[in-house]
Amino acid sequence: MTAQLSSPPALGSTPRAGGGTPAAHVARRKRLFWPFLIPTLVLYGLFLIVPTIATVVLSFSDWKGAGDTPKFNGITQYTRIFADDAFQSAFVNSLIYIAVGGIGTFILAFLFTMVLRDMRGNKIIRAILFFPNIVAPVALGMFFGIVYRYQPGRQGLANFLLESVGLKAAKFLEADVVTWVVLGSIVWASSGFYITILMAAVDRIPPYLYEDASIAGASPWQKFRNITLPLTWDVVGIAGVLWTINAVKIFELVFVMAGSGTYAPPIHSWTLGIFVFDRSFGDTPAYGTACACAVVMILLVSVFVVALRRLLRREAIQF
Amino acid sequence: MSTDAVVTTLSTEDRPVRKAPRRPKPAPGTKRLSPLRVIGTVIVWLFTAFNIMVLYWLLGAAFKTPLEIFRDPLALPSQLFKSGRPFRNFIYAWDTADFGTAFLNTVLLVAVCSVVIVLISAPAAYALSRLGVRGSGPLTGFIAIGMGIPFQTVVIPLFIVLAKVNLTNNLFGLGLMYVALSLPFTVFLLTGFFRSLPDELEEASAIDGASPTRTFWSIMLPLARGGLITALILNAIGLWNETLLAIVFLQENANFTLSRALFTFYNAASYQSEYGGLLAGVAIIVLPMLVLYILLARRIITGLTLGAGK
Repeated sequence: MTAQLSSPPALGSTPRAGGGTPAAHVARRKRLFWPFLIPTLVLYGLFLIVPTIATVVLSFSDWKGAGDTPKFNGITQYTRIFADDAFQSAFVNSLIYIAVGGIGTFILAFLFTMVLRDMRGNKIIRAILFFPNIVAPVALGMFFGIVYRYQPGRQGLANFLLESVGLKAAKFLEADVVTWVVLGSIVWASSGFYITILMAAVDRIPPYLYEDASIAGASPWQKFRNITLPLTWDVVGIAGVLWTINAVKIFELVFVMAGSGTYAPPIHSWTLGIFVFDRSFGDTPAYGTACACAVVMILLVSVFVVALRRLLRREAIQF
Repeated sequence: MSTDAVVTTLSTEDRPVRKAPRRPKPAPGTKRLSPLRVIGTVIVWLFTAFNIMVLYWLLGAAFKTPLEIFRDPLALPSQLFKSGRPFRNFIYAWDTADFGTAFLNTVLLVAVCSVVIVLISAPAAYALSRLGVRGSGPLTGFIAIGMGIPFQTVVIPLFIVLAKVNLTNNLFGLGLMYVALSLPFTVFLLTGFFRSLPDELEEASAIDGASPTRTFWSIMLPLARGGLITALILNAIGLWNETLLAIVFLQENANFTLSRALFTFYNAASYQSEYGGLLAGVAIIVLPMLVLYILLARRIITGLTLGAGK
């Protein structure tokens, strides 16, 4: 029955009530395809594909911005940005957010998943941990800016807690450590999302596998290594891709936390997103440079996505 | 009508319902309380308690004077209540940052854009997932790639072009971008929903003589209602929180969205040490999301994590 509708029947098309043969009906249905799809394709093309191509083209030019005309100069922009201090720290920081943050989040999420699996109230805990994911990053950043405030006598919450247990207050938002503080905050805020994804995957694993392993005397680590990990591998891969996409565009949180009231944060704390923003809408616009950096962002996402796919490609295990 | 009859007869038809396997109780004596497990449980509870404390601190601080925020961060607010102006911080933030206009702008923009996004995405997702046209698969993949393009890569060309047609510093221009840039995620989300619908209903409505367009409008769309509402909510959340494009494209206070207004307010308030007002501003943007979340947590969580599972 299904096959008749989704692919044209070869022969013996019997007339049906409502007029038209199944074949005719299939053809009429297929006629809907383009009208239904065109609005999406047009907007998608105009606002995402064409601008992306334009950015790639402009990245090979020297262009200051409005009032200037682009002069094409090959890969000069790329050699120039890779020699630029601000870009270098932005690039390294973005790599840190993607790699260190990704690994940290997954270790945390897996640990939590293993504990939450058979814990009472795990739905509520999951919901509480998930909430920071739907808070605006700007709001999170401002909030953290006050939590991590350092000013003797008027400490933010973090230093208040440190001092109340007798430890020394720390300057969390100094340019050289702020990346790690932001990283910690992001891992904290997004852990709920990845816990939910992994838990959904773990929940689908039939419990008898764990029972068999228990009877055979497996340790918790062996159960994790030989049951949980292989059976959730594909979901880990997808979650890794999502993390990479989100980590490469980190912008508001750093801008607000490291900037602390001033306009642009110090360059040690920059990410690629901030570099693009500064070079295009900052004090001295350089659109060509910004475009080159934007292309680096896309390449970074592609490289990580392809690498993750390669790394995590396994025989799909049916269970 | 005949089509309605089709829906009712088919949906009340008994289907073998597969229950998820219930986890059997462990045999007595097998359940050991390993120290590792105890530590893990304690850590999870501490982490959860920390999250609740953070939320409490934010909401409490919005009702405190700066001195209280830093001296007794965990105490209940008292100074402002004693002086009879408990909402002083909120009023300060509302007036200084012109949150009134921003609130109105945001609600309007978010509502209109979310609806338009779903109206455009639903037919596209239906066409890609159910019409069986050759090339649907690769085309879906092509649209899904859009989810991986960071906004920063498209923002410069878009800014140049929209400035030419006078659509920068303009809520309509921003809305247009919001709609277009939200399509890949929404189409991808909805193809999943449409794919999970049973074939029989479409077939039955065709036999009853409904035209393909009518089948879509009166059978498939109502069936996918859950998915459409999820898509609507997720887009509303995403746009409510969107900041980068708002910072780039809006320059005038009268056009500001909430996140954009908050961004500007941050500089002014921290310069004047108005930390209470600042956190009240943060609370103004967070509270509507908190209310929405309390009402719809399950739908939001499953919707946002749907694409990742199977």
